[in-house]
Amino acid sequence: MAKSTINVDHVARVEGHGDIRVVISDGAVESVQMRVVEPARLFESMVRGRSFNEVSYIASRICGICSATHVVTDLKAVEAAFGVEVTERTKDLRELMVYGSYIQNHATHLFVFAAPDFIGQESVFPLAETDRELFDQALALKALGNELSTKVGGRPVHPITAVVGGFTSEIAPDEYRKLADKLMAAIPFALKTVDLFRSFRVQPLSTEGDMLAMVDADHYAIERADTARFLKAQEDFHASDYAEHLEEYLVDHSSAKFARVRSTGTPYMTGALARVNASWDLLCPQAKVAAAKAGLRPPELNPMMNNVAQAVEIVDALERCAALCLKLADTAGEETSEPVPFEVRAGRGVGFTEAPRGAAFHDLEFDEEGRVVHASILTPTAQNVANLEADMLQLANLLVNEGAPEDVVKLEVEKLVRAYDPCLSCSVH
Amino acid sequence: MSGYENVAYDSPRPPRVVVFSLASCFGCQVMITNIESHLLDVLGQIDLRYWQLASSVPMPEDYDVAVIEGAVTTEESEALVRKIRATAKTVISIGACANTAGIPGMAADHYYERPIEVYDEVPEAAGTIIQPRSVPSVIKVDGQVLCCPIDPLDFVATLQSALYGSNRMNSTKTLCGDCKLNGTSCFYGKGIVCLGMVTQAGCGARCVNLGRPCNGCAGLSVDANLDSAREACERYGVSVQEFDEALEMFNQTNSALKARR
Repeated sequence: MAKSTINVDHVARVEGHGDIRVVISDGAVESVQMRVVEPARLFESMVRGRSFNEVSYIASRICGICSATHVVTDLKAVEAAFGVEVTERTKDLRELMVYGSYIQNHATHLFVFAAPDFIGQESVFPLAETDRELFDQALALKALGNELSTKVGGRPVHPITAVVGGFTSEIAPDEYRKLADKLMAAIPFALKTVDLFRSFRVQPLSTEGDMLAMVDADHYAIERADTARFLKAQEDFHASDYAEHLEEYLVDHSSAKFARVRSTGTPYMTGALARVNASWDLLCPQAKVAAAKAGLRPPELNPMMNNVAQAVEIVDALERCAALCLKLADTAGEETSEPVPFEVRAGRGVGFTEAPRGAAFHDLEFDEEGRVVHASILTPTAQNVANLEADMLQLANLLVNEGAPEDVVKLEVEKLVRAYDPCLSCSVH
Repeated sequence: MSGYENVAYDSPRPPRVVVFSLASCFGCQVMITNIESHLLDVLGQIDLRYWQLASSVPMPEDYDVAVIEGAVTTEESEALVRKIRATAKTVISIGACANTAGIPGMAADHYYERPIEVYDEVPEAAGTIIQPRSVPSVIKVDGQVLCCPIDPLDFVATLQSALYGSNRMNSTKTLCGDCKLNGTSCFYGKGIVCLGMVTQAGCGARCVNLGRPCNGCAGLSVDANLDSAREACERYGVSVQEFDEALEMFNQTNSALKARR
């Protein structure tokens, strides 16, 4: 009996700590595991008893990359519980802040985490020698995402200004105009990024699980809506009913809980690919053309195309945010983002946003003093791990049947893990 | 925080630097990558041997400077931190999690009751959990970069000190002085709790400048006078209980807080 195990301990170039195990027995894949080995972080326990004022500040620390999303998701939950209606300007600013994290996250993921696999390097740093222009442009794009987050939120990680009801501070109209110019100027490189990732050869996978994304009638939805859709099942539900549609479960090889569709038990994927599939028609013109040119059209079921979908989302975010910045500059003085007054009351609220890596749900219940009685948090990666494992099995089978050597299986499996852009520290929260 | 060895001068080769991460959000490592335009200048001075976030090169046996992000929350990570201390000439702890146990430290109170609130059965993959603690409470560190998240240029300055030595004196003043210099108004006049009275200065009062009170992410200054601060709360009609609760966010494991209980 020939039995071998492919082990990747501590997968590099992902956020957080995880190991991969692929067991091959007599030329057939016996099992695959994505082992999330983060220490328990216990956020749901830590926010219990804390005031509504503090929870977004604490929840932000679930993740350094998507902190803006965790803050906005929490604020939406608090506002739903207290019945707070924020201004249109506040919604615009929140969207800008979240998009800042998209640009920063996607640029980091594509160039620092994913690209080295496709160019045969261990990290992005050798690119500084071999293609300095590409290296500088990639870092500049990431820096632009940070600048956007910083101008709106006060800093690139763990925003300061976003509070329940609005924003504590805003930049001057001129600064919005300058930002709009910079965002527009970055579009040509973003288009080049779509072409670059389109040119990388990927394995022909087709995910068998479902896909989940936020949807809105007339807007590429990332934080304004409250409706989620299972794309394959064509099933819509309101965020506050998430627990009837999604189910978390425990496995012993992971400190992250796994998730599946409650009614069918199938895993699902969330993230850029699911969003582009769900809202393709609502992409900005340049992003839609870029997607079409790259052959990314719904339904695209190859999880490896998540890389291309992220690149398309960068184009979309740049175009969309430039327009938002100009709108904010033009309407400054007429509209305000100052926190609206509200009354604290007992109740439950569910916040739902699309983090760069996919759907995030925060379910908060408060007592009459506004202290958290119960918290449940569902992060994108926790939802993705089960589907990632299923895709990993499909990929390993494909390669082993082709007679691929172990180092090829190892590299391709790692590429798949990175294509999901997992945040393992986030998944354990 | 003085007495760095001159790592760069003592050796003919560039200092070998490694970056480790314990329980954290990874945000401080993200902030290191956020020195974008200076990244190559920094990399040019060091031999970066291990950085799991950015490179798949495996962990080396030997190195000169170790950078640690995150709090110690498992037996495995405590052992790792001790091993790092035994190997590295210089250890730099970055961010609130590493330096004060930060947000993970919030769980220190009633710690052993918490995992079962989140998991029906705690998975084996979570490791052997222990009460959260800061890195300096386990080993001696040579340099600290404070705050949640760190300021990337602050990190560069501390790394430079570690590489080339420094006779810089680190101030222990509290944040309140910065607001006086910045000319910003005080939250206490509005009846809102702010931790500037007791928090280590150095961030320039970034949050207060943007309209939010200090949450104490830099940790307590050694000069902090908690009793006097509580009296000030009473004078301004701000709840002392709220002040004490606010302190738990980043300073739960600080013995100055425990002393009162």
